[in-house]
Amino acid sequence: MAFLTCQFSRGEILLKPLILYFTADYPSTEILKSFLEAVDPDVVKYVEIGIPESNPLYDGPTIKATHSLALKNYKPNHLAEYTGILGRKGIPAFALSYYEKFNKLGSGYATFLKDAGFSGVIIPDLLTDYSEESDRIIPEIEEIFSFIPFFNPATPDGLINAVSSLTGSWIYYGLQPSTGIDIPFDLEEVSRRILDLLPGREINFGFGIRTTGQIGEILSLGSSGVAIGSLLVQYLNDKDLEGFRKFQESVKEVCASAE
Amino acid sequence: MGKIMLSTQDTAIIPREWYNVVPDLPKQLPPPVDRDEKNSSIQLLNQILPKTILKQEFTFQRYTKIPEEVQEIYAQIGRPTPLFRAHGLEKALDYHGKILIKYEGATITGSHKINTAIPQAFYARDEGSTGVVTETGAGQWGTATTVAASLAGITSKIFMVKVSFNQKPLRKEIMELYGGEIVPSPSMETEFGRQLLAKVPEHPGTLGIAISEAVEYALEHDLKYMLGSVFNSVLTHQSVIGLESEKQLEILGEEPDVMIGCVGGGSNFGGFVFPLMKKFKETKIFASTASEVPKFTKGEYKYDYVDTAKTLPSIKMYTLGSDFVPEKIYAGGLRYHGAAPSISMLVNSGRIKSSDVTEDQVIDALKLFARTQGIVAAPESGHAIATAIEYVKANRDSKETILVNVSGHGLLDMSIFQR
Repeated sequence: MAFLTCQFSRGEILLKPLILYFTADYPSTEILKSFLEAVDPDVVKYVEIGIPESNPLYDGPTIKATHSLALKNYKPNHLAEYTGILGRKGIPAFALSYYEKFNKLGSGYATFLKDAGFSGVIIPDLLTDYSEESDRIIPEIEEIFSFIPFFNPATPDGLINAVSSLTGSWIYYGLQPSTGIDIPFDLEEVSRRILDLLPGREINFGFGIRTTGQIGEILSLGSSGVAIGSLLVQYLNDKDLEGFRKFQESVKEVCASAE
Repeated sequence: MGKIMLSTQDTAIIPREWYNVVPDLPKQLPPPVDRDEKNSSIQLLNQILPKTILKQEFTFQRYTKIPEEVQEIYAQIGRPTPLFRAHGLEKALDYHGKILIKYEGATITGSHKINTAIPQAFYARDEGSTGVVTETGAGQWGTATTVAASLAGITSKIFMVKVSFNQKPLRKEIMELYGGEIVPSPSMETEFGRQLLAKVPEHPGTLGIAISEAVEYALEHDLKYMLGSVFNSVLTHQSVIGLESEKQLEILGEEPDVMIGCVGGGSNFGGFVFPLMKKFKETKIFASTASEVPKFTKGEYKYDYVDTAKTLPSIKMYTLGSDFVPEKIYAGGLRYHGAAPSISMLVNSGRIKSSDVTEDQVIDALKLFARTQGIVAAPESGHAIATAIEYVKANRDSKETILVNVSGHGLLDMSIFQR
C-alpha cells in the first residue's frame, strides 16, 4: 500500500514520505541554506539537522566526516536560520544531538533547541549509553517539545515498549546498526518487527538506505517515511543542487509508480 | 541410585533453533562502531564474513532455524552432550547440595567450539568460498575449524598464537590431521606479523594479534574469516549448549540455583547461560576468568578494538586493552583481552558476577575433578570448576544446585601438569 504514504499533485490528503538529514553548517552555512531552500515540501515531511559533535559515535564514516568539517563552521545562531527556511515551507525541523550536551546543559538545552525553531529532538546514544537516564530526561524534554525515540534492531522489545509509551511522537527506526553502512538484513522481517510492536504509531525508517528502489520497497512494507542522510552528502560536496532536486523528483516517481 | 544423565543418546534433544539473547537484554546492546572516518571496519565485515553470519550478527530475532544439514552434523559430532550429576566431586567436597556438569568435552573435537565452526564453514561454502581462515589460542577453536572445513569440503588456514603453538605441539598435529594449514602467530605471512617480528623477533603472540593476521590473510586471499568468539552470532550458535541443558534439566527434574562457566571471549559462557537465564530468572551466575587476565575485575567497560591491529570494529566490552599481552598461562582460550558485549553489559549491570582464578587453583581443581569424576577437563574449563569448588567451600550448607559448564577436555593440554 505504498500509495498511502505519498502525496500526489491531485491533492489527496496523504503523508509525505521523505525525511532529510543534514549536518548543521556542512559543508558551509551558505551551501546548506541553498539546499534547504531547494527542499521540496511536496515530498519532504521533516528535516533533521545534526548538531556537530567531536565524536558522533553511532554515525558511519560518511556522516562522521561531515561532523569534523561542520565543527569548524558551526555557530549556534545559524540553527534558527535553517529552521526559518524550513518553517516558511511548512516543514518541521528536528534536531539530532548526542546526549553529552543534555548531560552538560540539562533541559535548558532542549529549550535552546526549541527556541531555535526545532519541533523535537533525536538523541541517538540515549538508549545505548544512558538508558538509566531515559525515564528522567524523556519526560523533561516532552515538557518542552517532542522527544523522538530512536530504536534499531538491537533495541530489546521491552525497551521499545517502555520508551515509546513515554511519548506520542513519531518513531525513528534505524534499519542498520550505523549510518551509511551496508549490513545484509531481511527488510520485510526488520520492518514487520517494529510495525507489529508499535501498531498505529508513525514509524519512519532510516540508516543505510541508498537507492530510490529501496525507498519504494520500504514504503510498500508500511513505513510512514524514509530518512536519507549519507546519500545526500555527495550532492552537498558537489554543490549539486540540480542533482538534489532530481533526487527528490525521483522519490515522487517511486511513489507514483507504487500507486 | 539417583537419576544420572550420562548421555541421552536422544537426538530429539538437539535444538532445532538457536537462541539470540539481544531482544531479551535489559538494555540496548551498544553496536560496533568505526573509529576511522575514511575506512569503515564494519563494511569490512562484508568482505570477510559470510552474509548469513553478518545477518545473524545484527538480527533482532530471538530464534533462528538451524539448517537441517547443520542439525545432522550436530548429531554426528556428539550432540547432545551429556549433562550429569558430579557425585564424586560432591562427595570429595562434602557438599550436600548438587553439582551438575554440562560436558562439552564429549564432542568429537573435545570442546564447544565445533558448535559454531560447523555453521560458519557451511555458510562460507554455500556462498562460494573455497576456504576459511581463523586464529586459535589454545587450539580448540583451530581444531574445530579444521574439522568443520573438512566436513564442508573447503580448506582451512589457522594462525595459532605462538606461545600455544610451542606449548601444545599435539594441537598442531591434530589440526593438520584434519587437513588444516597451521602457522605460528606472529608470522611472516602477513604485513602485520612481519612488522611485529621486526620489532620483537621472539614475540609470544596474543589472540588479538592472531585475529589481525587471520583477517588480513582472508582479505588478501579472498577467503572467509571464521569468528571464534566475542561476536553475537557466535554466542547464538553456542546457545545449543544452554538449550540442550534446559531440556536435560527438565528430564532430570532439576533447577539450577547457581550457574558457572569460564570466559575467554565468552562464547561457551554466553551459549550456556543465556538460554537458561530466560527461564531461571533468579539464578546466580558466575563468570570465571583467569587472575592473569582479569578483564572483569581490572579491565574497563568501554569501546575497544577486537584485534590488536585495529582492523575489526570497536565494540563496547570489558577490556584490558587491545594491545594487552597476558602472561603465558596454559589456558590459552582465556588469554583474550576482552569479552562479548552482551556478557560485558550483564557483568556491568551486576546480573553476572565475575570470579578470578589463579593457575594454581585451576591445577588443583583439574586434579580433583579428574580423580573424582574421571574427566580430564581443559585448563579453561578448570577455571569454572575451580570457581564452583570455591563457591561450595563458601556455601557448604546451602544445599544449592550448581550447574557448571565444562567447555572442553584437556587431553591435549597435559603440559599444564608438568610445571
